[in-house]
Amino acid sequence: MIGKASAALAAMMMLATQAYAADAPSEIKIGTLYASSGRYASISMPVHSAIKLWVDQKNAEGGVYVKAFDKKIPIKLVAYDDQSNTATAATLYNQLVTQDKVDLLVADSGSVLTAPAVTIARDHKMFLFDQTGTGASFFSKDNPYIALMADPVSTIWPKPVADFITHDGPGLGIKKVALLYSTNEFTGTQANAVRKFIKESGAPIEIVYDQGVPTETTNYTVIINNIQAKQPDAVIHLGYAPNDIAFLRNVQDVGVKFKMLFCIYPGLETELLEKNVGAKGLQHVFTYVPPQELEYPVNFGMKMADFRKAWDEKYKDGKIEFGFNSVAGYTTALVIEKTLSVATSLDQMELRKAVFSLSGNLKTLDGTFALDEMGGQIGELTPLGQLELNEHGHIKFVSIYPHETATGKPVYPRP
Amino acid sequence: MLYPLIAGVLFGLYFSLVGIGLNLVFGVMRIVNLAHGDFLMLGAFVAFGVYTAAGLDPLVGVPIAFALFCVAGLLLYWILVPRLQRARDPEMLSFILFFGFSQVIEALTTIVFGTSERSIPSRELANSLSGVRAAIFGGEATNGPFQIFGLSFPASWVVAATVSVIAIGCVYLYLYRTRLGTLTRAVMSRREEAIATGINVDRVSAAAFGIGLGLAAVAGVFAPFMFGSFTPAFGIDATVTSFVVVVLGSLGNPLGTALGGVVYGVSYMLVQTYLSSWADLLPYVLLIAILLLRPSGLLGRRVRVA
Repeated sequence: MIGKASAALAAMMMLATQAYAADAPSEIKIGTLYASSGRYASISMPVHSAIKLWVDQKNAEGGVYVKAFDKKIPIKLVAYDDQSNTATAATLYNQLVTQDKVDLLVADSGSVLTAPAVTIARDHKMFLFDQTGTGASFFSKDNPYIALMADPVSTIWPKPVADFITHDGPGLGIKKVALLYSTNEFTGTQANAVRKFIKESGAPIEIVYDQGVPTETTNYTVIINNIQAKQPDAVIHLGYAPNDIAFLRNVQDVGVKFKMLFCIYPGLETELLEKNVGAKGLQHVFTYVPPQELEYPVNFGMKMADFRKAWDEKYKDGKIEFGFNSVAGYTTALVIEKTLSVATSLDQMELRKAVFSLSGNLKTLDGTFALDEMGGQIGELTPLGQLELNEHGHIKFVSIYPHETATGKPVYPRP
Repeated sequence: MLYPLIAGVLFGLYFSLVGIGLNLVFGVMRIVNLAHGDFLMLGAFVAFGVYTAAGLDPLVGVPIAFALFCVAGLLLYWILVPRLQRARDPEMLSFILFFGFSQVIEALTTIVFGTSERSIPSRELANSLSGVRAAIFGGEATNGPFQIFGLSFPASWVVAATVSVIAIGCVYLYLYRTRLGTLTRAVMSRREEAIATGINVDRVSAAAFGIGLGLAAVAGVFAPFMFGSFTPAFGIDATVTSFVVVVLGSLGNPLGTALGGVVYGVSYMLVQTYLSSWADLLPYVLLIAILLLRPSGLLGRRVRVA
């Protein structure tokens, strides 16, 4: 009797599984935007290219495993070009949600082009895979429809910089700091964080210059002269890659040598910056140490060396630089893949639950994926480093702070 | 105060060069070349090619870019403009046509060169002239910062400003000392009367269009040094700024552009010094102010009626 019942149950389960698989979609639609031109192309195209690389890899293997249907399903990447324009981006995000009816919504790179997606995703109750939009205003307790995949949230990202200045700075003679930032969500939030960390530290540090400039600024000569007039011991410049290129070139052009100069992108997009500013222009610049330099232990996806090899094979023409943003794009893809492998349905809140279940457990080439309760990324931290030249005149990273990850001492003041 | 003023004059002289080609084209043909900034961007690629492919001083790109785009301008003129001029509203149609043309140029350049920022080391500009500079002003024969009243300015700015002054001088000589220039001024002043007196307006206009594009490309040679880097998408911003400079000086008056450029440059540097967050608004504020206070531009009345 028991044997007959077991056989009947097994047959029913088999039938149920077959029906389950029969309901599976022919493809999983991932909707995203990219900027092929405009100010954010240099941070958007590497992210997008990394996702495309992953899609091609997975589809060559028959797709990604989707637990909700217990089978591998091919991915269809629905991607539109927003041309770095936020108004165009808003229209296209809407199109992805309402017309294309994508299963997963992935934001474009950077806070500026992520901002329109945050509102649209929330309004349509779509969970947003925020790739690199780190702006503080995106993450709140009343918005469950977002999580940051690959960069630390901007409210904590600059902590190693501020901590270095407030802990080690006074001993080195750093008393006066100049803060220059581009007025956008990404760098504006980082500037607020730097100010807050310095103020709360109680260290004898004075911010003697604190100015925002439009993100579209391409000329800093007069600003550099104004900063120099304040005689700061450290200069923190927070901008996007084109801002850093223009700023660092202008610093060289007017022959100014700040004792300490921090910029974001020499660390994040080193190849691009070296190409435009030159190795000499980057020497002694303080910056974030990217995952490419840290070789994190991995429990899912390719290791850094393998990813680099796959990238070089796919993008042989070198038109898109390999850097922090390409790693960020691949990290997003890995989170999506892992999410689909644990989510029991494609319901947006179930996807959220699956993403949050990975927090602290998923270790990729970008470090440990960890989220705070609002979806802000708090795991993939980047230490403070300084760029130096090796014996062949090429750029190398020296990790400076925190001390436990340090690989050398800071060169201060800049010779 | 002295630093932003001097920086503004240098920067502004360069913007005079950026705008003068646009103004020449509008003055003669009454069409607005919205692809102006894209020709500037292509000029930047000429300088980039001269430096990276041929290993030459980017300054060599100036005559090459001018010649190349003068010829391209002549060809484009005969393909596009006569048809445009026959339209009922050529000014409005030129907006649409050249906007489309701008998009095509940007898209093709992106396909060929990619989207990344490119630049040329500042020390390479006019490096070959650093010996001459050392002989005149003293110091070492290197292309380091340029000292004016004891203040350091990028040498590339001084070179760009000098070339701009020379280019504006050449445009002046062309307009006031050559027969073709005299005919050009006649067309600028009264197009219908020029046609009635038998002036070959097409020939004059083609020359102006070629020179206008050539000057845009020359300005582009200096773009990597003035803007830090450039991308195929850089043209739109350049067109907007050129338009402001031109309107400020006087639409249709190339010499007013020189003044417009300097006013823009000095204003920009002062705003960057005292209200840096608002610097982006400056072109639009200036545009609105000049249209409200003096719609004909700073030099409008005197030259256009003369």
